Amino acid sequence: MIDLEERFIEKKSFFSRLVIVYLFFGFLFIFFLYTTYSLQVYEYDDYEVAALKNKTKEVLVQPVRGIIYDRSGNIIVNNVPSYDLIIKPSKIKNPDNFIFEISKIIDIDKDNLDYVLENFSLKANYNRELILKRNLSQEEIAKFEVRGYKFPSAFIDVRYSRYNNYPKLFSHATGYVGGVSNDELVDILDSQSLSQIETIFKYSNGYQIGKTGIEKSYDKKLRGKFGKKIYEVDARGKLLKEVDFIPPLDGDNLYTSLDINTQQIAYDQMNNRRGAVVAVDLDSGAIVTYLSTPSFSANEISNGISKKSFDALLNDNNKPFFDRASQGRYSPASTIKPAIGLFGLDTKLIDWDFSITDPGYFVLPEDQRIYRGWKEGGHGKVNLNKAMVVSSNTFFFSLAYKSDVNQLINFLSNFGFGEKVCSDCFNPDQGLLPNPEWKMNNLNFGWFKGDTVNMGVGQGYLSATPLQLAYYASVLANMGKQKKLTFIKKDNSNNEMDLPVNNISNLDWKRLHASMIGVIESPIGTAKRLQELKNFKVAAKSGTVELVSTQTKEDYEIIRQNEGNRDHAIIIAFGPMPNPKYAVSVVIENGESGGSVAGPVAIAVLNSLVQE
Amino acid sequence: MKKKLVFKNFSIYFDQYLFISITLLSVIGLFFLYSASQGDLNTIIKQSIFVGLGLVLMFALSQPDPDFYKLFSGLFILIAFTLLIATMIFGKEINGAKRWLNLGFFSLQTSEIIKIALPIFLASYLYNKPLPISLKHTFITLFLIILTFYLVYSQPDLGTGLVVFMAGIYILFLAGLSWRFILSSFGLIILSLPFLWNNFLQPFQRQRILTFIDPSQDPFGSSWNITQSKIAIGSGGMSGKGYQEGSQAHLNFLPEAETDFIFAVIAEEFGFIGVCLLMSIFIFILIRCIYLAFNARDRFCRLTIGGLSLVFASTLFINLGMVVGILPVVGMPMPFISKGGSSLLSFYIAFGIIISMATHKKLMQK
Repeated sequence: MIDLEERFIEKKSFFSRLVIVYLFFGFLFIFFLYTTYSLQVYEYDDYEVAALKNKTKEVLVQPVRGIIYDRSGNIIVNNVPSYDLIIKPSKIKNPDNFIFEISKIIDIDKDNLDYVLENFSLKANYNRELILKRNLSQEEIAKFEVRGYKFPSAFIDVRYSRYNNYPKLFSHATGYVGGVSNDELVDILDSQSLSQIETIFKYSNGYQIGKTGIEKSYDKKLRGKFGKKIYEVDARGKLLKEVDFIPPLDGDNLYTSLDINTQQIAYDQMNNRRGAVVAVDLDSGAIVTYLSTPSFSANEISNGISKKSFDALLNDNNKPFFDRASQGRYSPASTIKPAIGLFGLDTKLIDWDFSITDPGYFVLPEDQRIYRGWKEGGHGKVNLNKAMVVSSNTFFFSLAYKSDVNQLINFLSNFGFGEKVCSDCFNPDQGLLPNPEWKMNNLNFGWFKGDTVNMGVGQGYLSATPLQLAYYASVLANMGKQKKLTFIKKDNSNNEMDLPVNNISNLDWKRLHASMIGVIESPIGTAKRLQELKNFKVAAKSGTVELVSTQTKEDYEIIRQNEGNRDHAIIIAFGPMPNPKYAVSVVIENGESGGSVAGPVAIAVLNSLVQE
Repeated sequence: MKKKLVFKNFSIYFDQYLFISITLLSVIGLFFLYSASQGDLNTIIKQSIFVGLGLVLMFALSQPDPDFYKLFSGLFILIAFTLLIATMIFGKEINGAKRWLNLGFFSLQTSEIIKIALPIFLASYLYNKPLPISLKHTFITLFLIILTFYLVYSQPDLGTGLVVFMAGIYILFLAGLSWRFILSSFGLIILSLPFLWNNFLQPFQRQRILTFIDPSQDPFGSSWNITQSKIAIGSGGMSGKGYQEGSQAHLNFLPEAETDFIFAVIAEEFGFIGVCLLMSIFIFILIRCIYLAFNARDRFCRLTIGGLSLVFASTLFINLGMVVGILPVVGMPMPFISKGGSSLLSFYIAFGIIISMATHKKLMQK
């Protein structure tokens, strides 16, 4: 036992020790209070945002793509709604039973059913939708409307498909849409400062992006902007309620300069031959016809095609996917002659009165090499006009021979050769306008005088796409006005430029046009067979692209046994003269005669365009 | 003032300050729990029964004379040990821990009992030992403390084990543990920390402590709790989001919202102002305990009041420190607020005993 004094000491010691412990707790408490204060007051903003971020989930809402129209306001590419049967798995307790019951009203295909059942519990957990059946028929919709009250967790809603009304006519012009790659999606969303999150789709196929043609070059304008639905979610990510909805901005409709009727006529005329037709409105440089054949169905590529059919298209020797209009390279052949003639006039190497005697061939003075014309014995005495009408090679060989090659190349580039001639075409090829430097770098040979001579008749290394030939025709028709080609009809005067020439007068242009009219009208014209086809006067220049060089007709008869060796048929034309409205270029691979094979297509297209 | 109401020959022992503040805290606790449990009436009814039972128990336990507790403290601790060992053998296992003994109507968390029994027993053992406590008594006491700690710790329940350990140490310290012993054992503990770390901590406990030191180590593991808790507290701001408006709790971002992390729910819904108001009740209770200890009739009562009130304070501050992120996550309820019958009852019992110790005066001085 302890005595009184000890008890007093004990009491004192107890108190001081209790105070020590409480002081310790006091410090702990102050530290705790300080921490709470800084969390709730100093860092409040950060934590408020964090709490908000925790409980909100943004879901993107897909916009609907713009509609593509032709120049008369007819729809080329549309969004076709289909009625889909959609369910809310979170509201269905027994999926097997539910599907058994709903199958009594609407047949559900096995493949989709498997997908639905596999994803059922996942979608239910997160309170999302599932598409039970796409593209319901009128009958199915009616049935569901009558008996659907039994299924409050199922509803019918619209989902779109991108649909080209003329899938074969415009497969290359409008192109097609397809699935989005991850990188593309990131780019698209970045442009709206969005990140990749879940999306409510308007299209049955999900994200869509233009893959080729106008769908690709105008993708940004057509695709619109994503909207946003903001939901409150719980910790598991389950959607609780919609907090906010920023509707998507649907894509802009696109009014193109294309003409459906003429496209159809061009397509019929081409009759699945390999080739291309490009026609241009001279007033604006707008493309009215843009066709590459053979074609394929844009809808099948966008909305589903069997692997077998796709492989068949891919392995087709006629290469239907190849866009000949903007990517096929063809020698311009004799269609280059108007430009060469103009060069002669501009550089004063010749005038309209200048003439030579055409013996049917040209001898290169340097090495006595012979360059032949198409007609044995030649055309006799030819001036520029006659040389155009009868397509005298000799005349242009000798004119090119006298030309400075660099000056000539520069002159040709003004007509679009080797240049980008279209402002909104998908992936256009620039063809090839060769020059001495190019030849040395690529072929390891110096430029021969013979190369220049060949260029005078559009053979050799020079090549151009049908698109470039149409542009070239438009510059000729517009008497030197250069108007960039485009699919959209707009006021083009801003980027309109004049051909930089020194000595070409209006009269020269008129005489050039007259000589090109003569190609059809003259009894000796190379395209005189077109006289009966045309509804009005047309200026033209035909060409025949030699693929295999032969010395005699007999030799050609041998090589033409193989269709692939036959000459390409090519023509440029514009009309109605004397005030042309449209220019056109036609290329038919292995078609042999520019005037009589490509010509009728060009005339049909011009007739149709002018008639409208 | 402590009161002794006398009805004829029958006296009632009662401290209205503690009684009112604890009742207030219990009611407020039910109110918070209603929100934290997302309006689950079952939880509230069950908890209300415990609160009612607890208040009755507190009142009843205030009545016996401290000598009763002194006399039976050996029996109490024996029963508590028996229950602890029974838990080790018959206890039901939840999440790899055996902490509960199924009593049919109620699962008893037996460590909650030893938490009270140990301080009373140690007080009754030490109250008549001369100052400073001799080395022999110190070692006997320490042995008992460590044995108890080990039994609780091996359930495993590090949090309660620490509180039990601290409770024992408080008594020893308040009873007059020599300063020399305190200083030398401090040195020893620091030297043996690496050994304790490697041999006494479960891997998940080590992980929790590591995460506490560097929260970036596992963003969705144990620090996920802390991150969400801080977001809940921080987003409450000065005045809170309003009752039942806390998104962190109501959308299930906050884990253990009804139990260990209920303070985060309160802070989210009532803000810093609410936190201060709530804290003032706790502080009032603690200050009242100091006052009662100072005025207790003898050393046994002083030690018991001091020890039990410090068990209460430790539990509270470990819980708060954990929830705001200044202590590692150890699993500790908030007294009188968190859901859970055993913890709730244990504090009513503790305060019942505190009131008994404070209100009984020796009528006849020897």
